[in-house]
Amino acid sequence: MILQTDGQTPIYMQIAHWLETQILTGVFKEHEKVYSQYQLAEMLNINPATAAKGLNVLGAEGILYDKRGLGKFVSEDAKKHIKEKRKDGLLHDLVEQFVEEALHLHIEMEELTSLVQDVYQEKRERENGNN
Amino acid sequence: MEIIKSTDLVKRYGSRLALDHLTASILSNSITGIVGRNGAGKTTLLQIIAGFTQETSGNIEVFSARPFNSLHVSANSIFIDDFLTFPNTLSLVDILEEGERFYPNWHMDLAKKLLAYFELDEQTVHNYLSKGKKSTFNAIFGLATRSALTIFDEPTTGMDASVRSDFYRALLKDYLAHPRTVLVSSHHVDEIEELLEYVLLIDQGKTKLHMDIDDLREYLIGVSGRTELLEQWVKDRDVFFRRRIGETETYLVIQNNVETKDLEKLGFRVESISSSDACVYVTNKHKGGIDDVFRDH
Repeated sequence: MILQTDGQTPIYMQIAHWLETQILTGVFKEHEKVYSQYQLAEMLNINPATAAKGLNVLGAEGILYDKRGLGKFVSEDAKKHIKEKRKDGLLHDLVEQFVEEALHLHIEMEELTSLVQDVYQEKRERENGNN
Repeated sequence: MEIIKSTDLVKRYGSRLALDHLTASILSNSITGIVGRNGAGKTTLLQIIAGFTQETSGNIEVFSARPFNSLHVSANSIFIDDFLTFPNTLSLVDILEEGERFYPNWHMDLAKKLLAYFELDEQTVHNYLSKGKKSTFNAIFGLATRSALTIFDEPTTGMDASVRSDFYRALLKDYLAHPRTVLVSSHHVDEIEELLEYVLLIDQGKTKLHMDIDDLREYLIGVSGRTELLEQWVKDRDVFFRRRIGETETYLVIQNNVETKDLEKLGFRVESISSSDACVYVTNKHKGGIDDVFRDH
């Protein structure tokens, strides 16, 4: 992983996000131990305190759990939890942007709904055609 | 545990006040960046901590002792800067051997490997080294002591960019393996920020900010929008920087204690401010920056 140091996203959030992706793609499975703060610090060339914050974010969300003295492990429902969280987060943000742009262009609700329906239909047909 | 405690520390050089009642404490086994503008008092503070200079008044404790004239403090600390001199009769490897005799945690293997990696000839004399190579050797010496308190005052002066990043990586790796208290002063916060846990920002001899680097990264925000609206909204807040953009817009830097969403609802654009820029804005005397010089009155 390459850290973005332009300050848009805090480094510990980038670490948390990256670990989530590692869990989603199966690099770490349920009840497996993830990297320690020291391993992360070494890998990413950052202070171990910053790395610990990234791990703690996932700990607080229940994606990782602690085994005293052994480190942090992937929780049972971690994958499901991450998927749901990302769906809520990203999808919601995109809808917000979409509606905002529509408002700038003075598009009425009806027109907006039919636009969504059209695109949804189109994408769905394409997907079914592919299958 | 607090390893350094400074209370109302004052250092006066003639009529100049280098430290003006500076209060700060440093936790053990952490890396702290000591930052500030030229003449802010960084070096003076570090020299007092290392026991090189006496304070004028106030209190300073390092390992629970007053550092000046303390053998206990000097045996457990190292101060690395540009002015470090070694006898001309000793080769670089002789210097390392002397280091081993004095510092109980000395790591000769690391020192020799780093010397080879940075292509420093063991048999050469310190004084014959170029500025950048001198800095490199001094930094290696500082790492090899593995002192409980390791102080680097502008350690990378004259080093090539690649040597600088190699040195900081070496420092991080050795710190991970052998935690200790490290103080690094630098003009370039962006160069060391990933390495740091805390930042101590000194301004005019005082502690301006002392915080977690991750909090500093989110301490300030930049907001831009239509001048009348923005000025109206900001009138009860501290503005760290202000610049007009064209005829109708203004850009302001303020403390990050507002919801981004609320600002965006008002039609303002919000951007984050890096920790190095935050240090500059917080210590700015001129709220318009260099533009103030060119302003007609």
